[in-house]
This record gives sequence, C-alpha cells and structure tokens, in this order.
Amino acid sequence: MKRIAYSLAPPVVAVVFALAATCVVIAISGGSVGAFLSTIFSVPNDRILVNIVNQSSLLAISGFAAAIGFRMGLFNIGVEGQYIVGSCAAAFFGGSGLVPGPLNILATLVVAILAGAAYASIAGVLKVTRGVSEVISAIMLNYIALTMSGYLVQRYGVKAGYTYATNDLPPSSQPLGFAILPGANDVWALTVIAVAVAAGYWFLLARTRFGFDLRTTGASASAALASGIGVKKMVVVSMALSGGVAGLVWMPAYFGSVHRFGVPENFQAGLGFAGLAVALLGRNRVPGIILGAVLFAYLSGQSNELQRDGIAKQVVDITQGIVVLAVVVAYEIVRRRQSRAEREQVSEELAATPAAANEGEAR
Amino acid sequence: MRRLAATTVALATCGLVLSACGTAADDDKAADKVECKPTKIEGDPKVALAYDVGGRGDQSFNDSAYAGLEKAKGEFKVESTEGEANQDEDEAAREERLRGFAEDGYNTIVGVGFAYSESVNKVAPDYPNVAFAVVDGFDPDKTVNCNVAYLTFAENEGSYLVGAAAALTSKTGKIGFVGGVNNALIQKFEAGYEAGAKAADPDVEVTSTYIEQSDPKGFGDPAGGKSAAEGLYSDGADVVFHAAGGSGAGVFDAAVEAKKWAIGVDSDQFKTASAKQRTRILTSMLKRVDVATYDFIKSVVDGKPSSSYTTFALKDDGVGYSTSGNFLSKDTIAKINEYKDSIISGDTKVPEKP
Amino acid sequence: MTIEVELAGIGKRFPGVIANHDVSLRIRPGTVHALIGENGAGKSTLMKILYGVQPADEGTISVDGQHRSFASPTDAIEVGIGMVFQHFMLADNLTVLENIVLGAEKLHGIGDGARTRIKEISARFGFGLEPDQLVERLGVADRQRVEILKVLYRGAELIILDEPTAVLVPQEVDALFSNLRELVADGCSVLFISHKLDEVLAIADDITVMRRGTTVGTADPRTATKHQLAELMVGSELPSPETSERTVTDQVVLALDGVTVTDDLGRDRLTDVSLAVHRGEVVGIAGVEGNGQTELVEVVMGMLRAASGRITLDGQDITRLSTRKVRELGVGFVPEDRHRHGLVLDFPLWENRILGHQTKPPVVKGPLLNPAGARTDARRIVEEFDVRTPGIGTTARALSGGNQQKFIVGREMSGDPILLIASHPTRGVDVGAQAAIWDHVRAARREGLGVLLVSADLDELIGLSDRIEVVLRGRLTGTFDPSQVTAQDLGAAMTGGSAA
Repeated sequence: MKRIAYSLAPPVVAVVFALAATCVVIAISGGSVGAFLSTIFSVPNDRILVNIVNQSSLLAISGFAAAIGFRMGLFNIGVEGQYIVGSCAAAFFGGSGLVPGPLNILATLVVAILAGAAYASIAGVLKVTRGVSEVISAIMLNYIALTMSGYLVQRYGVKAGYTYATNDLPPSSQPLGFAILPGANDVWALTVIAVAVAAGYWFLLARTRFGFDLRTTGASASAALASGIGVKKMVVVSMALSGGVAGLVWMPAYFGSVHRFGVPENFQAGLGFAGLAVALLGRNRVPGIILGAVLFAYLSGQSNELQRDGIAKQVVDITQGIVVLAVVVAYEIVRRRQSRAEREQVSEELAATPAAANEGEAR
Repeated sequence: MRRLAATTVALATCGLVLSACGTAADDDKAADKVECKPTKIEGDPKVALAYDVGGRGDQSFNDSAYAGLEKAKGEFKVESTEGEANQDEDEAAREERLRGFAEDGYNTIVGVGFAYSESVNKVAPDYPNVAFAVVDGFDPDKTVNCNVAYLTFAENEGSYLVGAAAALTSKTGKIGFVGGVNNALIQKFEAGYEAGAKAADPDVEVTSTYIEQSDPKGFGDPAGGKSAAEGLYSDGADVVFHAAGGSGAGVFDAAVEAKKWAIGVDSDQFKTASAKQRTRILTSMLKRVDVATYDFIKSVVDGKPSSSYTTFALKDDGVGYSTSGNFLSKDTIAKINEYKDSIISGDTKVPEKP
Repeated sequence: MTIEVELAGIGKRFPGVIANHDVSLRIRPGTVHALIGENGAGKSTLMKILYGVQPADEGTISVDGQHRSFASPTDAIEVGIGMVFQHFMLADNLTVLENIVLGAEKLHGIGDGARTRIKEISARFGFGLEPDQLVERLGVADRQRVEILKVLYRGAELIILDEPTAVLVPQEVDALFSNLRELVADGCSVLFISHKLDEVLAIADDITVMRRGTTVGTADPRTATKHQLAELMVGSELPSPETSERTVTDQVVLALDGVTVTDDLGRDRLTDVSLAVHRGEVVGIAGVEGNGQTELVEVVMGMLRAASGRITLDGQDITRLSTRKVRELGVGFVPEDRHRHGLVLDFPLWENRILGHQTKPPVVKGPLLNPAGARTDARRIVEEFDVRTPGIGTTARALSGGNQQKFIVGREMSGDPILLIASHPTRGVDVGAQAAIWDHVRAARREGLGVLLVSADLDELIGLSDRIEVVLRGRLTGTFDPSQVTAQDLGAAMTGGSAA
C-alpha cells in the first residue's frame, strides 16, 4: 500500500503543481484561467482522442528508448537523431517495395531498428574508445542526422509539393488501422509496437541477465565491474539497444498515415527530445512512461482548443516543462523520505548494538 | 506524385463524401477541366487564419497575411480568429486545427504557408460549405477540391527585378543568393534572381547558397544566415539577396559588417530592420501575401470564393520590389521598370527553376 | 598568537555506522600534535568535525576554554582553525596571490596590501613563495606551502594537516618539517594526521592514537617506540581470530608467477610477485595501505591486466581472463570497498544476491534471472550469516555496514568456491559480526577453500592466516608464520623498519 502511495504521489503532486503554476502564468499574461481549466479538463472530441492515442504510442516508444539509456546511466539525448535516421532508412526501404506485401512491414521495421542501433553505436563506441561524452557526441549526431536525411531525400527521393520525400509505401504494405471511433481517424495499426516495446522493456530489465547487468551498470559502474560485467561492452550494446528502439519511434505514423518520409512536411520531428522528458516523467518505469506519454499527448491534443480560447499555444509547453521539473523534484523528495523510513525500519530490527566505526564508509 | 489513398481512413472519407471524390480524374490537367460551382457561403464571412510556426509577430509571412485580414475587416463586415502551429506537430494536429475552425462556424479558412496543403486537401471535402485557401499552397493529389484556393506567387518575377537591381548596382561583378531551405519554392527565388541579373549584365557572377537542405530551421537561424552571407561577401560579392525568412536578419548583419548591400524579401524589410541594417538594404523583393489574403476574403464577400490555383504575379501587383531608402539610382529604377513591363506584357519569360 | 583547542567526548554516527565515539583530544598551544591510526580509524571524520565540515552528534569543542560550535569552515577559521586537505584545492590558472586571496578579499584587499602580507608570511616561515607565480608552474611541495600560506593568511593559529607527507618525497618531507618547526616556534599549533610512524616520531610533541572510531591512548614521542605505537594502532581486541587446526593441503589453487602490474604512467604498482595459495590455506597479505594490495587483488580478479607474469587457478591459466570468467571458475570476491564494489546500494538484497553470480544457478536460468531462486538463496544467507534485516526486499543501502558485509561474505561463499579473495572482510564491522565472519571463513577453509586475505587488522591476519606475506612498495618482502610473529614485528616489516 505504502509503496503504491510512494510511487503515485509524486506525479500527481507534480501535475497539480504544474497546472497551478501554469494558471499563474496565464493570469499574469492576462489570459482566462477559467477557460484554461475548463478546456484542459474537458473531454476531447473523438478525433482528438484518436490523435492522442496515436501520439501517445510514438511518445511512449521514444520514452522507452530514452529509458533504456537512463537505466544504464547514459543520457541518450541522441534518440532524436536515431529515430530520424531509423525513419529515413525505413522509409527508403519500405518505399522501394523490395519486399512485397505485408512482409514489407516486418522487413522495414527491422531496417528501422538496425539503422537506429547503428547510429546510436557511434556515440557508444566514441564513449568507450575515446571517452567522448555520449551527450556531446549525440547532440552533434542529431544535427548530422537531420541534415543527412534531408540531403538523402533530396538526392534520392521524389518531389512532394515544394519539398522532397521518399517513394510512397506500396498500398499492399499499408496495414489497416483500428477504426475504433466512427468519424475519427483510425488508431494506427502499429501502435501495437508501443505495447510490444513496453512488454519487452519490462521483460528485459526485470527478467533477463542482460537487463540485470544493464541496471547494475547504471546503478553502480564500479560494482558492475567487480561483479564481472564488461562495462565498456555494455555501454555500446545498451546504446545500440536504445537506438534500435528509437528507430521504431515514428513507425506507427509512417505505416498508419504518412507512408513516406521527408523533412519537414512528411515527418514529425522533436519526438526524441519529448521522449527524454517522458522517460523522466515516468521514472523509467513501464506504467510511468505510458502515463507520461499519454499526458504529453493529451496536453498537445488540447493545444488547438486552448488557442481558440485565446490562450497562447506556448502555455502547453510551459505546463509540460513544469510537470517534468516538478516530477523530478517530487521523486527525489519521496526517494529520500522512503530511504529514511527504510533505514528506520532496519534500525528497529536491530538490537541497539553499537556498530564499529568506519570513516571510509561514512557518507 | 499521386498520393496513394489506400488506408481505410481515406477510403472511408471518400465513401462519405462521394461528390468530392467522384470528380477525381486521372488526367494531370484535371484541374482545368473540372467545372467548379462557387462554394456557397452562408451569411457574412467568418475568417480563420491558421498560421505556420512562428505565428503573428514574425514581421514577415504571417504578419503579412494578418495585414490582409485587417484590411478586409476595415472594408467589410468580417469576423475573425487565428490559430498557430506548434513546433514539431504532426499532420493530424494541423487537420484538427482546421476542423476545429470549421466546426466553430468559420466559413473562410486560410492556411498560411504551404505546410497546410496536405491537411486542407484532407479536410476540405468534409466541409463543402467552407471556403479554404492555402497561401503558397499546392494540391497534393489529383482530386480537385472545388472549395480550395491555392494562392501562389510569381516569386521568380519579383526576384528577377531585384536580380537586375543587384547586377546593376554591383561593382565587383559578383552577387550572391542565400536561401533558407533548399526546396522548390525557394529555388524559384533563386532562378528569377539569377535570370534577372544575367539579363542586366550577362557577365555577372551569381553564387547561391542554402542555410539548410531540408530542416525548416533554415528560416529561423540568423547565425546561419550571417555565416552564409559572410562567405559570399568575402568571396567578392557585393550584393546578396536572401530568401531565408527570419535568418535574413543575419544576412543584414553581415552586410553591415562588410559594408556591402543586402536585398530583403517578402515584405519591405527596410521598414522593419534596425537603423544600422537599414543603411545596407538596397531593396526588397515584395511578396504580397496581404494582397492575396485580402483578395481571397473579398472573393468570399462577393459570393464567388476563388478556387483552384491563383497566381499573384507582377501584373496583379502580387510581387514587386521596394525603393525605400532611395538606394537605387534613377537609371537602375528605370531599367528595372523596363524589365517589369516586359514581363507583364509577356515578352520576357522568367524561369522557375535554376 | 596561540590557541588551545580541546575536544571532549566527540561522537558522530552515520546511518548504520558509528564513525566516532567518545573522542577526546587536547592540543597544547605551540606544539605539533600527531593523530595516528589505521585507515578507517575515524581520523578524517574527526578532522571534518573540528573544521566545521560536518557537525558532531555529541561532545564539545572548546577553544581557549570556551565552548564553540562550527556550522561551516568559515566559523572554524574565525576562531583560528585552518585545514589543509590531502587533495589540494588550488586553481592552477591563477597566481599564488590570487589563490590565497580568493574568498578572503576583505582581509588585505587583492592588491599590494595582500602581496606584502603574503611576502611577509612566506619570508617568516621560509616558504620561499613568489606571490605572482602561476600555481600551475609549482611543484607538489610548493603547492602544499601555498595551501598552508592560505590558512595562515586567514589568521589560522591551529593548522590541521591531513596526511601531508603522503604526496612528498623524503627531502620534501624534511623541508616541510622545518617549515612546521618555524610555525610552532612562532606560537602556532599543528595537528598532524598520519600513519607513518617514523615521521610522527620525528616531528610530534604529543601523539594521540585512534582505533575503531575512538581515541585509545596517547604517547610521548621522546619515550615511545614504533613498536609501541603500532601496537596501540592495531590493538588486540577479543575475540581473537585463532585458527585451531591446520588444514593446509599441498594442492595449489592459486599461483602467481612473476606478476608485474604497471599503471597508466608505466610505473610499477606490483613488481615480480610470486605467490601460491593451497587448498585449505589462508594466505594473509599484510601491508600499509597503498603498497600494492589493491592491485594484487584486482589482477587476480581480472579487473587489472598484468604487464607480465602468469596467474593460474587450479592449474588453468587465468592471466587474461575476464572478471566474469574468473568468477565462473569458482572464485569468491569480497571487495575492499563494499559500497563501491560489493553491493548495488539501491537494489534490494535479493537482487544483490545475483551480483557477481549472474551466470551461476540458482539465481539465473540460462539467460533469464531466477527471482525465486535468488530470493530463496538470499533468505538462506540472511539466516546462516545472521544478517539483521527486515527482509530480503530491503535495499542494501538501509543495512548497517556490518550486516552489509555479512551479506557479501555469505554471497561470495555461495556455490562452493575454490578460492576466496577477501579484502578487509571485517573492516567497519562490529565485533559480533566480525566473529561470525571469521567463523565462516574458518569453516570453509576446513572444507578445502583457499583464501587470499588482505587486511589492515593485524590481529585478524595473525589469527586467521596460515601464512603471512608482507607487501611493501609493490613487492612481497617477507613471509611470516602467524604462530610465531607478533603485531609489532609485522608492523615493522610493513613500514620497512626491519626485514623478516
């Protein structure tokens, strides 16, 4: 019971706090707080609901990609670049129609994973061989990814409006979506990737030796080394894994509605950065990441409604930012409290025997 | 580039509004052949402007559209609202913005920026009694939507004039071009600029560079604009024309530092630039988004909403050049006006591709 | 300028550990007072309390007879207490003057006033420092003088020096000592922290010895001998670890043959070490910290690579094997730093049971974890090794040091290892837990386990080992029979005082 309260309290407090802070911002800038609250808490129409579900799936996959890095103690800010590269490679492959029919879907997903993984490995290898911080190299690689994919599409793609895009995905490889709400768009077929990634993430970390090694390295690299984990190898492998998942981020949208890749009209950038925030928000836990993704998608989905109430669209960004910040603070507070409570519980168990001195252990 | 509409979504949409889909023809020239009845607008125009990223206050494109709306409001009985795109939003969010307007009773919806082309194309069939327009827009498929107007500009013609101005002003015989993003639209500027320059001085050397290949950031990156322009100036160019939106500020800064000329774009940038930059803005290529927006609203007021492609060219005053600052010599202006007349009369054809 | 500082009944506890208790110490004005004790005896904690870095839980500090409490080092400096840390805190790209006035701009400004004052102090104590020299151009000894000058500049009358000689070569040590004598002659007091007995005897006026978090005695350097000091430092507390019967066999389980380890700069950390551990034998490694024990352990565990030489386990060459492979071959490892190497503090105990055993049942099944198996076995360890914990779901961080250590020892003796490498297995562990750990090691030894035991606790070494090797500056310099040797003999051999 207590455990559940510990894990639920921080996000709830953070969201409430963020909404309150946003209200203050709105009030200061002369907007209507009442309109903001009533819109934020109104049930969105069917179309927006479907959009929220679709967007949640992208954000969740991105969140899991980031979380793999976080659990390993790596800040994979390169999710952004990795999913651009994955999407670009996948769209070229999928659009080429080399593999016929539905099999193309599977093959394209594999290409997306491999491309994302390969791109992420660059940062991983640089880190272990040259000591380059993965944050720095990944930021650079993000730029390279965007520019390179733009160049490739222009060079080898076809014209789409004023810009260029990859060839369209053959119709035989376009999966049917889930027509859940009439009159609204379909829920994309490959939103199931998000579910699969969530399940895989949980299983990998909680149930496999590899996942244990990964978590151990993230929690204490020195203990990992002493326990026989090849930390350098783990860095490269987990970066690749994070990048592989990142490669999948945009795939539900690609197969569900866009069917081609081209920056900026036929692509949605920024999901990688949002994924980092979602992972932070969800504390790298499966339910947390899913809820975080839904929350972000929900806020973005309501953005149009808010604008019609005369509230600047930036308000949503502010709310998202404050939620992340507040949740990080709130979790830290709870973590300390929890750890103190646990210690107290332990000392109750122990007889009051004075422990020996040890300054080396003192923290 | 036919967009294959094979998802159930698209099929379902077609099924619901057979009338709109039924007009689809396979001929590329379908647009010319389909007979469109004017969209019926009930009551006074209620105008919604859907801005691209940047929104009102960008001192450029979006502001210009707003100016057109303001002008219309001054003359007619028009209600209005506005909405702005988020950075990194997806197609569904744009569609939802348009649908939201339509369902709130707005019957005249203008998507400002070609990014709205796809979403308008998808949404318009569901709202046959709403007149849509897309500034700089294009029809992404062959299905004609009778209630959509694509407001495009002969940027190549306007650029031709400033190209001539550049060549006539240049002392080094070298001039430059900075594009924000290397896409077909911006290439139109480049093509016209180069053609105009060559017409005025066949020996002039024109160097073109782009800030970004595809990242729309190229339109909002003053530092990138500055370094691009610095490169051109240091290679000997003494006039640089930019078609790079917000990045143009950097081009102007580079001109100030190099003490050389720059040419503005879209609006008369002499009027919005800083005092320092002003001294280096030779002229601006005008792209009258305000005229286009106003004309479209007026067509709705007149009961005959325009549809299909409408190109705003030199002859419509849809593009042009500015003389604020009086930096252009009388002779140059006279020469430019000759070219202008020649284009209007059809004697000079300006290329669209470099 | 003289102050008298007295500490009485100082106590400090950290969660699960008592770092200081009932520490009393009086520093007479104008003297060098040496504080000695093994690593982990509580010296650093005490200094941090005296310098206001952390508050004491109990006890009093009085300066010139007045009770004082320091919330921060600023408060300590105010009454005239300054400290020079082992790791210098200087900005390389600033000059001597700038480093010194940084944070003390109000005293004499940052210009000529400050320059004059610095020159004055430097001249008075023979430091020979130029105010405008860049610190990056200075050697270690000069940097140390800058640090001392920094505290003098701020008006310190008691200077705490934390292991000041650790970074110096012998000639520099002599120079430091002559500086210190000048200071004392001028009325300053010095609190000199060290575990190098020769130096302490050479410079100190008073000596206080700490062991296990408390002051255990004082000595007069004029009459005390190194042997006596070593005895005080190491102590001989009950229960004494005595090995009742001999179980040594002639089967070699671990053999090192001419192993040399070099650091990044190419210096030898371990030179030509040859050593054998037999089944049923405990080989103790005695040495002052930093003489190669850590490297010895890590090279066997595959955490460091030998530059030359050969290591075999049960006849198999393991010189180039990874840590995981070495562990898979049946080596248990109790690391010297349990927080950094032995446990993942934020994992529950049952997950910590898996640590280091990721490839061995019952905690895994092929590539998958076996949480049920890990839990069952963690429960077994908790019971057999008397780990005091509410449950196996408790995070390791919450446990006291002794219980953490019992859990580690239990874990490392799981799965019938053939060799146990134990670094300071009972450091920071209460007496009861210590006895329990010793019992377990002895029991396993009877079963044929070979043990390589590194410890700073000479009683432990003597009581548990079948043979003791002394390591000094990376070489094995002597072999002792624990039944014959005394702590004093060992202490002398460890410090290079006399060979065996």
